[in-house]
Order: sequence, then C-alpha cells, then structure tokens
Amino acid sequence: MAQIDMRNVQKFFGANQVLKDLDLTIEDGEFVVMLGQSGGGKTTALRAIAGLETVTSGQILIDGVEMQHKKAADRDIAFVFQSFSLYPHMTVRENISFPLRAVRMGAADREKAVTEVAEVLQITEHLDSKPSALSGGDMQRVAIGRALVRRPKALLMDEPLGVLDAKLREQMRAEIKRLHIARGSTSVYVTHDQVEAMSLADRIVILHDGVLQQVGAPEEVYLHPTNAFVAKFVGSPVMNIHEAQFSGVNGHSSVHIGGAETGFHFPEQLINHVRNTGQAVSLGVRPEAVLLSHEQREGYFLAQTSNIEPLGSHDIVDVLVGETVLRARTESGYVAREGQQVFVNIDPAQAHFFDGASGLNLRGAN
Amino acid sequence: MAGVQTTAEKWTNRTAIAAVFVALIIMLTPIYWIAATAFKPRNLATTIPPTVVYEPTVAPFVKLFTKRSQLREQPTQEEYDTAPWWEKMVYDGGEKVVRNRKSGEVRSSGYGDRFKNSLIVSVISTILAVGMGTLTAYGFSRFKVAGEDDWLFFILSTRMLPPVVVAIPMFLMYRVVGLNDTHMGLIILYTAFNLSFAVWIMKGFIDEIPREYEEAALVDGYTRIQAFFKVVLPEALTGMAATAVFCFITAWNEYAFALIMTNRNAQTAPPYIPSQVGSGLPDWTVIAAGTFLFLIPVAIFTFLLRNHLLRGMSFGAIRK
Repeated sequence: MAQIDMRNVQKFFGANQVLKDLDLTIEDGEFVVMLGQSGGGKTTALRAIAGLETVTSGQILIDGVEMQHKKAADRDIAFVFQSFSLYPHMTVRENISFPLRAVRMGAADREKAVTEVAEVLQITEHLDSKPSALSGGDMQRVAIGRALVRRPKALLMDEPLGVLDAKLREQMRAEIKRLHIARGSTSVYVTHDQVEAMSLADRIVILHDGVLQQVGAPEEVYLHPTNAFVAKFVGSPVMNIHEAQFSGVNGHSSVHIGGAETGFHFPEQLINHVRNTGQAVSLGVRPEAVLLSHEQREGYFLAQTSNIEPLGSHDIVDVLVGETVLRARTESGYVAREGQQVFVNIDPAQAHFFDGASGLNLRGAN
Repeated sequence: MAGVQTTAEKWTNRTAIAAVFVALIIMLTPIYWIAATAFKPRNLATTIPPTVVYEPTVAPFVKLFTKRSQLREQPTQEEYDTAPWWEKMVYDGGEKVVRNRKSGEVRSSGYGDRFKNSLIVSVISTILAVGMGTLTAYGFSRFKVAGEDDWLFFILSTRMLPPVVVAIPMFLMYRVVGLNDTHMGLIILYTAFNLSFAVWIMKGFIDEIPREYEEAALVDGYTRIQAFFKVVLPEALTGMAATAVFCFITAWNEYAFALIMTNRNAQTAPPYIPSQVGSGLPDWTVIAAGTFLFLIPVAIFTFLLRNHLLRGMSFGAIRK
C-alpha cells in the first residue's frame, strides 16, 4: 500500500493542455474518486499515475519515489479498465494469474493466490470458463481480481462500472466498497457519476478542464462547494443557480431572482459581503433548501408550480419564481397537481452566493 | 435468422440458394474437368463429345513422374512381360521410360523437384510476408509514425502496377547479383510482393484489437514486446491465418516471375506444367495430372485454416 503524490503535473496533447498544474496527495489506504465531465482530464490523470501516459512536466511520486519516468510495469500499480479488457484467448484462471506470471511466481503460489482472490470475489465456479461466457458483473469481478491478485501498491479504476446496467452497478459499487474496507488498498477511482463518487469516496477530487476544482470529503464537497461548477456537478437534482438582485436595507434585505418583484428575506450578515461588490452575483440553493408550504408563513410568497416529477420517496417540483424555475424537493404528493399555487421560501443558511464572472463561492468565511 | 417469413421472403431465399448453386457449378466445373482428365486414358481425353464414363487409370501420373521418350521400335514380348505394371502403361501409350544407361535406374521427370521448389518458396515467403507484415502493421497501428498515411499509400502503391512490368529489370539485376534461378531469389520476390498486402490486411485486424489489452499487460508488469507476443499475437492469429492463406495462394500460383527468373534449380511447378505441352503432341492427361496434384496443397492449407477464416474478430470479452 502506498501514498501517491502528484506535484505540478502538466500534460499537453499537442497544443491542448489536459492537465493544468495538478497537485494532489493520495494518502495510504485512502479511496479517492476523481469526478468530472468527460474530457475533464480525470482519466488522463489516472493514466499518468499508472504510467500509460507520460506527463509533460511535474512529478509523480509513489511512496516518495519519483515515478514519472518509470515504465508502467515498474510502478507496481494495478489498473481496471472500463472495458474490463480481459484477454479473450485465456480462461478466467489464466487471466487472473497473468500478472503473477510476469513476476515468475511459482505455479503453486500462483494457484493459491488465484483461488484466494476468486473466493473473495465469488468467481470460483467460473475459473475455467472463457471471459466471453461471463455476465458483465462477473467480467468486472475478474478484472478486479486480476488487479488485486499481486497485491499492488495502488488500485486504479477507470469508470469500472460504466458499462454495467443500473442495478448491477449499484451492487458492484457496494462490492467495491466492501473490498476496499477489507483490503485497505490505496484506490483511485475515476467516474462521471456523482452518486458513485459520493457513496465510495473517502475524498472526492473534482476536475474540470484539467484544473483541480476541489478536493474534500463527500459531505464537504456537497455542503461547501468552492465554485458554481462543483455545486452544479455534485448533487442530484442539480442545484438551482440564478442571477440574484438585492433590495432593501437595515434588517429587511431581500434577494430576488428571475426578475421577481418579491424576494427571499435574508439576514443582513449573510449577504453583507456579497451585495456591494458591484459585480454580478448568483444565488445557489439545493432543491432540499427550497421550502414549500400550503399556508402563508413569514417570508414565504405565493408562486405557481409547473412540473412535478414523482420519484417515489420524494417529488421534485418546479416552482415558477419570476421568469425562472426553482426546483424543490418535497415529500411525495405534497403538491397534488401541476399548476397549483404554493408558498415558497428558501433556507438562507443553506444558500450559496457565487461570483457571476469567476463562479467562486463568495460565502468563503463560513 | 429465425422468425416469421413471408412468402416473398421464402422465394427470395430459394432464389438465393439457386444462385449459389449456379455459381458453384460454374466455379467447380473446371476443377472437375482437371480431376476427370487426370484419370483418363490418353485417347479419351480430347474426345468430342467429352467422355464422362470411363475406366480411371493412373497412367497420367506415372507419365508425370517419369522421363519418357517416343518408342522407335516396339518392345519385345519378353521386355513387355518382365516390365513392371507402370512401365507397361507407358509402353501402352506408345512411349518408353528412359533409364540411366549404366545403372539402369528409371530417370524421373522434373515434376517432383518443381513441386518441392514450389513448396519451399511459397511456405517460406508466406511466413516472411505475414511475420514482417504483422510487425509493420502493429507499428503503424499503435505508434505515431511521421507521415503514416503517406507510408501506407507508398506501401500499397507497390501493388499498383502489374508485377510483370518490372520483370525484365528485375531479371537483369538478379543476374548481376546471382539471384536468378535460386530459391532465395524467388522467396525475396514473393515476400516483397505479398508484404504490402499483408501490412494492409494486418493493420485492419490489429486496429480492431483494443489497446486496453496491451495496456493491461503493461501495468501488469510486462514489457511491450512481451505484451505483443502474449496478448496481441493470440488475438491477431485469425487475421494472420487469413492473410497467410492469401499470400500462400499468390506465391503458389505465381507464373510470370517463376517463368522468367528460373529455369532448372529453383523452377516452380506453374511454369513447368505447361512446358510439357511442347514435346510432341500435347498429352493433356499428364498436364491435368500435374495440375491436379498442384491443387492439393492449397486445398489442404485452406481447409486447415478454415475455422480461422470463418471465425471473425468479434470474439473478445471487451465491452464498448
């Protein structure tokens, strides 16, 4: 098991810079998920750690040793591909023992290691089949088995569940987590699925356009996004972000969105630092912080609902505020039908303000 | 394809099957003709209308492998009676077997050696072309090669003119370096000729093999060469088999260069077989026998590799 250090890593593909000054330390035994859109640089970063991609500049250290010029074979790292990449001409047993044959391990030890891994992953019965005879989930188990069998310093996974169907994905997600807890291996996992990231990660690393946006525990990233990109990318449904105007003075300050005449009341101390910057500011609020009520309450105002998505455990209700739509999360059936009038408010404590130009979260101090 | 078939579809199917039958008959008739003629007595070979029912004989094959001359005088009864069965066949055809004057051994025709030459030249040039072609194709497929498209076009352009065009310059050059009438000379020629084809076909097959296979092997502790032999090559075997069949057939059937570049030591069967037409009246049964034997290696080779030819590439356990 090992610690992985990336220092000022830059990567160009021709004139196109895909990694910009990446600095990241992955602690021993940690499960780090790299999250981002496709083309965000997360797979390139992972391949750079594995040695499948050279870096243009910067250092990659594994356990304090510089690795950026070493071959993939010399880094003692395992990689699980999205495509599984099982060798079709070998049986499952041969596939799993393939890395062991590279280090010329004896046949008896090899067999022992393969059996052990197969038992952990519950694929013992498939050991003599060809990969093409397996289901998608079993193929991925074999791929993970091949990665784990030689006890590598770190386990890198590139969207390993990307091609599985939703149900299997959930099941394999739980299995990967269980395996990580049991083995304690340093793991780096790349995905564009924020649910996967939230449920698996010790820490989430969010990359966008090759730039590291935020590193933090899942709840930290969720509750305190450093900028609008992170705020929008993490969480489902997406955070409501709308340009905000401010009105009122001395204790009766309001924040307006969508050009609506009525605004949401905010305590002065929450907006003091943002209202007088002279720049465009956006209000960000997650659907669960949008509060709906059938009765008139302090600070609530009347608005019309437009669209309801019933999701079983809860509903997502679109509320028209001015010319924009706020998505609210309610208990199921709270709004009976589309077009119904409800009173709406937001929870100021859960609101974020983002700089209109840079997207940075202006709450900072909180 | 299971499922509901309309009447129209049924008739489409039947028409298609009928068309296949017609095509088969057209393609197989010459082969039947050669096989039939190879076993005919000489006097029935050129009858009009063709003789379909006859008593098969191996006389053409006996004649094919022995050196013969025209009978000036009939053999004596004793000579005829003591002769082995195959020599009688030659006597019956109005010829006699040529023997070595001192040892009395039967002298063989050149066919056996020509056949062996064909095998040597075709097998070695096929192995070389497929081997070098696969390596080149792998390079083009996996690495950034400066001017890749131009190189590939250049490689293909060597096939754009008929090879016979360069036969005379090649012959002159070969004579200078002493390569004419040698196995090596023909092997180099056929390898060069098949290489461009092998590169193009193999590049197609190797492009189909996902890079992740090698990358998985690379992170698993193998060098690129090891990854190539352990992972890429087994996946490319199907393509290599298909390429080998085509290269082998091309080299095996090549006529023009073999005719110009060789005459004795390294001559292959294709220029030899028709040369038999020239001595006396053509004995079509001998020519047919030579051709018939000549078909067999290709048929066997193709038959052995048929699974690879049919299997296709969609066998992998990779998901896209």
